[in-house]
Amino acid sequence: MVKKRSDVYSVEIYGTKDLHKTEIEDEEEKHKEQKGNKKKKKAEDLKKELDLDDHRLSPSELEMKYGTSIDKGLSSARAAEILARDGPNALTPPKATPEIVKFLKQMIGGFSILLWIGAGFSWISFGIQLAQGVDSAFDNLYLGVVLALVVILTGIFAYYQEAKSTNIMASFSKMIPQQAVVLRDAEKKELPADQLVVGDIVEIKGGDRIPADIRLIFTQGCKVDNSSLTGESEPQSRSCDFTHENPLETRNIAFYSTTCVEGTATGIVINTGDRTIIGRIASLASGVGNEKTPIAIEIEHFVYLVAGVAISIGVLFFIISVSMHYKILDSIIFLIGIIVANVPEGLLATVTVSLSLTAKRMAKKNCLVKNLEAVETLGSTSIICSDKTGTLTQNRMTVAHLWFDNQIYSADTSEDQTTQPFDQSSPSWTALSKIVTLCNRAEFRPGQENLPIMKRVVAGDASETALLKFSEVILGDVMSIRAQNKKVAEIPFNSTNKFQLSIHETDDPQDKRFLLVMKGAPERILERCSTIMINGKEEPLDSEKAEAFQTAYMELGGMGERVLGFCHLYLPEKEFPETFQFDTDSMNFPSSNLCFVGLLSMIDPPRSTVPDAVSKCRSAGIKVIMVTGDHPITAKAIAKSVGIISATSETVEDIAKRLNIPVEQVNRREATAAVVNGMELKDMSSEQLDAILREHSEIVFARTSPQQKLIIVEGCQRQGAVVAVTGDGVNDSPALKKADIGIAMGIAGSDAAKNAADMVLLDDNFASIVTGVEEGRLIFDNLKKTIAYTLTKNIAELCPFLIYIIASIPMPIGTITILFIDLGTDIIPSVALAYEKAESDIMNRRPRNKRRDRLVNQQLAVYSYLQIGIMQSVGAFVTYFTVYAEQGFLPSTLLGVRVNWESNGINDFEDSYGQQWTHYQRMYLQWTGYTAFFVSITIQQVADLIIRKTRRNSIFRQGLFRNKVIWVGIFSQIGIALILTYGLGHVTALNFTPLRFQYWFVAVPFAILIWVYDEIRKLLIRRHPGSWWDKNMYY
Amino acid sequence: MARDKEKRICGQVVAEWRAFLWDPRTRQFLGRTGSSWGLILLFYLVFYGFLAGLFALTMWVMLQSVNPHVPKYQYRLLTPGLMIRPCAEGLDVTFNVTQSHTWEQHVRALHQFLESYNDSVQAARNAACPAGRYNEQPDDAVPNYPKRACRFERSRLGPCAGLGPHGDYGYGSGRPCVLVKVNRVINFFPGKNKSINIVCAAKHEEDAALLGPLNLFPPNGTIDLMYFPYYGKRVHVNYTQPVVAVQFSNATANVDHHVECRLNAAGLRTDDERDKFAGRVAFRLRINRE
Repeated sequence: MVKKRSDVYSVEIYGTKDLHKTEIEDEEEKHKEQKGNKKKKKAEDLKKELDLDDHRLSPSELEMKYGTSIDKGLSSARAAEILARDGPNALTPPKATPEIVKFLKQMIGGFSILLWIGAGFSWISFGIQLAQGVDSAFDNLYLGVVLALVVILTGIFAYYQEAKSTNIMASFSKMIPQQAVVLRDAEKKELPADQLVVGDIVEIKGGDRIPADIRLIFTQGCKVDNSSLTGESEPQSRSCDFTHENPLETRNIAFYSTTCVEGTATGIVINTGDRTIIGRIASLASGVGNEKTPIAIEIEHFVYLVAGVAISIGVLFFIISVSMHYKILDSIIFLIGIIVANVPEGLLATVTVSLSLTAKRMAKKNCLVKNLEAVETLGSTSIICSDKTGTLTQNRMTVAHLWFDNQIYSADTSEDQTTQPFDQSSPSWTALSKIVTLCNRAEFRPGQENLPIMKRVVAGDASETALLKFSEVILGDVMSIRAQNKKVAEIPFNSTNKFQLSIHETDDPQDKRFLLVMKGAPERILERCSTIMINGKEEPLDSEKAEAFQTAYMELGGMGERVLGFCHLYLPEKEFPETFQFDTDSMNFPSSNLCFVGLLSMIDPPRSTVPDAVSKCRSAGIKVIMVTGDHPITAKAIAKSVGIISATSETVEDIAKRLNIPVEQVNRREATAAVVNGMELKDMSSEQLDAILREHSEIVFARTSPQQKLIIVEGCQRQGAVVAVTGDGVNDSPALKKADIGIAMGIAGSDAAKNAADMVLLDDNFASIVTGVEEGRLIFDNLKKTIAYTLTKNIAELCPFLIYIIASIPMPIGTITILFIDLGTDIIPSVALAYEKAESDIMNRRPRNKRRDRLVNQQLAVYSYLQIGIMQSVGAFVTYFTVYAEQGFLPSTLLGVRVNWESNGINDFEDSYGQQWTHYQRMYLQWTGYTAFFVSITIQQVADLIIRKTRRNSIFRQGLFRNKVIWVGIFSQIGIALILTYGLGHVTALNFTPLRFQYWFVAVPFAILIWVYDEIRKLLIRRHPGSWWDKNMYY
Repeated sequence: MARDKEKRICGQVVAEWRAFLWDPRTRQFLGRTGSSWGLILLFYLVFYGFLAGLFALTMWVMLQSVNPHVPKYQYRLLTPGLMIRPCAEGLDVTFNVTQSHTWEQHVRALHQFLESYNDSVQAARNAACPAGRYNEQPDDAVPNYPKRACRFERSRLGPCAGLGPHGDYGYGSGRPCVLVKVNRVINFFPGKNKSINIVCAAKHEEDAALLGPLNLFPPNGTIDLMYFPYYGKRVHVNYTQPVVAVQFSNATANVDHHVECRLNAAGLRTDDERDKFAGRVAFRLRINRE
């Protein structure tokens, strides 16, 4: 991780220092407002914590305060004492729900409660029957046990699935333990960072992560990247000086979890673990409530619907059976049957499996989903608030344009460049390339010769890195060029003179002159030049040429690029002989009247896959909002280049400029795009923000802090949108939590962000979000199909009970048999539907409306229950009557026989032919009936499975064989039915009997009818979109 | 404050439901307008009408394929069940000799059962068949030609025939009769041409002494082969099921007797674990005396 972080550079164009203070206060205020008293206290705590005075104290005062010595450090014994008092230096992970609670939740969630009721009733009736001495009492005991087992097993399964997906995440948090160099007992020791205590003296060098909040007492060129804390992208220099009252502003404190970019420092640990600033913020983030995911709401809605149907039919028929003078006990047993028939026992497990299959598929596409339900949330996303740096862009400065010989050249900014295509024949370029190569302190870290240049890790700041890589790509081995042009003197860049200068020997052995090279802010460089190089020749810098320079500078700056100017001077050999001693302090060499050579401009370029992904989002009806800490011009330039702001749209400012009128007079509605500055956002009321979000379709928020992200997310949610937010810093975590789906960056993201997020983007690439959206939408469609498939046969399971009660026929299907369908034959086929390909381009329709587009809508339920379900019941009943008729009981004989049929004492029950049956012979026939009914449902479920492959298109267009898993499902379904019928047909407890082969085919015509009917339905839907048929039959 | 809010929310819910039930603005009842309801009801009328028709059609086709005289499969009835009369709840024949109301129902049931066995009825309806062999009546030219049944005269049951003014089947005297009959199964030829009979005994051998001697009528509990085969109720209208009467002439009173009767016929298994009535019947007898 530490190593990874070191190649993270950000754009450094304008400082954002003046923003921090207000932002942090903003955040506090916001949290206060939002979370009422309890949270207010927390925020107060944070404020108090910020009242650090360590930055004001002198080193000796600090030594006193913390009982330590800067030379010797703490003693091991003292350190152990403090460690025992304060605890380890680590953030407390967010409080996890106890495992047992999670487990119990699975046991009572969803349909489980209904099944528990069923099991309870079974045991009650067992108790009553046992007391009455009824022989078959134990059947009810077993049924109760089976129901309880079903609940427990599906509960364990769901729990296991959930645990598995959490485990993927757990692996993330277990990173290599960080080490820190600590002075203890007057010795330097390397300790795990969590062993640090207050008062420890630690040493930090470039590339390290700061192991705790540290008051610096010695620094050397130290710079830290505070972006994960404050969101500012520019590395901040650190020194021992007390520069600001605000501890967050002062230079002499380095914060936990930020990174030291370069230089070294030594400091005293002043805060550890949760008491660090980051720890405070992390605990605030955990206070932002998690909202229910859309799919959780959908499933809840579906569970209510099915449970409602189950309970109302159950109660209705309880009343009917009581009023038909059935015994109360019998009525209760009917009720159990109705509940079991109505509840799709296997469905929730199937949904879980489907979601985790999709999660796996998404992980392959670099979207790691922490929470299974987030899979679908991504699909219903209607707004994506994306970071710019690293997500939309490559997160590295790259040379984009060059200007020399009065001409602008474009450079290749793609991720895997190996050459540069622009014209390199001009001698001016040779001179420019030499300056670029020499006037640069950045170096490749050793041992990376085999890596592509663009992937190599560099020690140095972002723009120097860009220049180094640029010259390495064009010129080859930069380090050897530098070695041949030995550096004799150097003035590093600083913010007062805004240039960098170095003096080199030349690589031409004949030429004994020194070469002075200089780069820096273009206007400053130009000031120092008197000539300009055109086609290799020095020409005087007249006003015309200066004008050309200005134009080029403005043009490059206008593209949001960071522009650097380059100049050089060959020092005359006479004045500066080989032995000349250069002194950079007294500047005993010329630094004006130089020769201007050219300009280079750099930008963090967009990832090459992003423009395509953005346009996909647009066609998918997803609004992409860019939220960045960068300057509006850069933000807008990137937004334009990736298509977040499309080529034709204009902002209010653009219109004002075009029409030459003041900004206030522009009709805001004409502007489709908006670039909102963080400063403006701060002063906006939520109504104003809402107006911006409503009126503009293309929005860029620039110069925003991570804290303002939360405001933006809330604004989007007020519009009723499902919001996805990307983030990497610790300060992003409240926004990530607040968002419907928080997406953390896998590479650049901090642990806190990953903790708060629902999803981790392994490659930090925006395009991966879009593939995630596609998968999410597909799974929503496929879950619809799965549920429709599963619900259908519930009617075929329910009808037998209802007809049994009303017509008093022998029981057509047993409760246990129903469970074998729900949890046996139907499971694999319903999972197989999760593999179904999309029917049409799902990225060409709008995101689903949370309120209107339900997972289980009325049409789906009605079509499954009242049409296909009834057809299945008819087919199954035909089989049932056929079996009984061929054994001697014609349908007319069966009506009203229930009491005698089930009586144990009647062993000469007469059939339609005058034959007499014992009770067991009848029961065996009844089980054969169960088996026949079961087989018929299975056969018709094959047809049901096939028709559910599509909702609108013909099956033949979708392809019968494209989804192979469906066929696995069909074969498994039939295979399980065969095993149950012929393999377990002799186990009486399961109520299966071997079935004559021809009965497998009785329901086949009905299966074909189901298929044909559904094809007709789809045909009419396609032919008459928007018609009555479409409205009522399309689910 | 909070209560106000709740009230309003509650009121809203009621209003929403009312609007769902009947929305006067869009004239919608339960979310559909009148014409929409009409269409949907018409659709389901047609749809279910079609399904009902289809069901009726397939059932009709199926019934056409079913032979009305002999069922297609009889493999579940390879061993016919045995049953007793009187057939009290739970096969439990319990009565008190001195209290006539406890056994009158049994007597009534037996009278009713044996009515069709009256000698006069048998003589009028059925034929006297040659004893000792199956009464096979093959269809020669006319299929399913009505079959003649063989006579089983009630008088053959001796004291258990229940004839005469005191025809109480021995219940009044504490020597009760129980009738055992074999379930009718079409085309069933028991005993492989050898004579078959019903054997009764105490279920547990050690109880045999308490149960005392059993008298079987017809003698030896023989069932004549002429009563087989049965041709089904359509063609074998007057078929009289053979019965065997068991008289418990000296059963110990006030004791539960567990009696088991088996059909003793060659090639017939009577030890099916699961079906307690296949070729056998077990019942409880208790004669109470004060």
